[in-house]
Amino acid sequence: MSPVDIATLVLLVSGAAFCVVGGVGVLRMPDFYTRTHAASIPDTLGAGLILVGLMLQGGGWIVTVKLVFVLALLLLTGPTASHALVKAAHASGLAWKGEDDTHHTPLQTVKVGGDDAVDPG
Amino acid sequence: MPSIPVELPIFILHLLTALLIARLRGLFSAAMLTGIFSLLSCCLFTLMDAVDVAFTEAAVGAGISTVLILGTLALTDREERQRPARALPFVVVIVTGAALIYGTFDMPPFGAADAPIHMHPVVQTFVHGAEHDFHIPNIVTVILASYRGYDTLGETAVIFTAGVGVLLLLVEGKRAGDPPSEPDHGSDGSDVPRDEAA
Amino acid sequence: MIDPTPMRMRDKIVLRVVSKLLIPFILLFGLYVQFHGDFGPGGGFQAGVIFAAGFILYGLIFGLDEVETVVPHRFVEIGSALGVLIYGGVGVVNMMLGANFLDYSVLAHDPAHGRHYGILAIEAGVGLTVFATMMLIFYAFADRGRRPGGAA
Repeated sequence: MSPVDIATLVLLVSGAAFCVVGGVGVLRMPDFYTRTHAASIPDTLGAGLILVGLMLQGGGWIVTVKLVFVLALLLLTGPTASHALVKAAHASGLAWKGEDDTHHTPLQTVKVGGDDAVDPG
Repeated sequence: MPSIPVELPIFILHLLTALLIARLRGLFSAAMLTGIFSLLSCCLFTLMDAVDVAFTEAAVGAGISTVLILGTLALTDREERQRPARALPFVVVIVTGAALIYGTFDMPPFGAADAPIHMHPVVQTFVHGAEHDFHIPNIVTVILASYRGYDTLGETAVIFTAGVGVLLLLVEGKRAGDPPSEPDHGSDGSDVPRDEAA
Repeated sequence: MIDPTPMRMRDKIVLRVVSKLLIPFILLFGLYVQFHGDFGPGGGFQAGVIFAAGFILYGLIFGLDEVETVVPHRFVEIGSALGVLIYGGVGVVNMMLGANFLDYSVLAHDPAHGRHYGILAIEAGVGLTVFATMMLIFYAFADRGRRPGGAA
């Protein structure tokens, strides 16, 4: 394996690892705002690392240039999307945990085929 | 260690996403999951070398369709109404799915060179004609726009009809001269409030 | 789409700046996909959807009145029919020039060029119809939520 292949391997694996870390964060965080934080930041970094790893494997310079554009687009739109999400949640009045522990809104609850409409606890 | 096809995790995710969409009662989450389902389909099509279809699926399914479903959500409830579980739809779905899977056993392996679809002389005509008569590299466009152009005319008419249907169902009482946000004007521009709605 | 608490324009500064950066590129990419359908994946359907997505993004961030000024209702209603008319019209022009319906080889001096022009023309018609229909459906949903007659 050439050094380029080894570098690609390292970048791809670390990118995937960061995405997994983001996923674990989404599952473990207590509140919507912290979960968005965990979902967006490691995922952008992980996707960026995967793209850089793919750039090293591209056939010619044109594939690399296209991947640079894709990376720029990702870095521009990913954080903006999570910013828009959190802004919309805040404008709808979603409270963060700790502000008022008994305040729940429907955006926070997901019932999978249950009987109750809103999670009371 | 036997090689696992890349499509297998995508199919498993498809299955999980579909089950979740059917079972979730929070409609916002279900709308997002339909977008994810379309994105997984797009990955599958790309793996099968059908880039045109993958492109359309990403743009329409994961893009516009999710926005329109969310727009519908703004007009209705946020949760699905609880309905009693019935056995008949479940049985129908299982039987239909099993029949479809049984039908795929008869199909040739994916990409096999001696599949009937590759042996038919029509295919040779298309491929040969796209290179010599058209000088256009993208055979999909050649087939869509010229060899099967009549079908594409029908598809465009279907899209137009869908737009007309949406117009008839959703736009109520809108006339050419109405200003957009003032529903209480009479049709002659006077300020008399109307009795009936819109 | 209806806003629970309508945000003022100056609250949305990040979204406004980023969308102002992105929308020209989205529209340019839509045009690229439309005209490069011959050489790569693309064509009228994808291009119409991408073009409409740019305008819908503009409408979501800057307000429905702004996007209705840029793309009026009248244009959208006429455009969706005009695309189908262009498509059928190309077929009729072929018939008037002596060939069968939708046989493009008579559109230019050379059959290959004629077919190329024919494909470009009908893809333009398809792109126009798809763009106008997507904007139409978006307007129908968004207007309904905005009028007091619609559901809250």
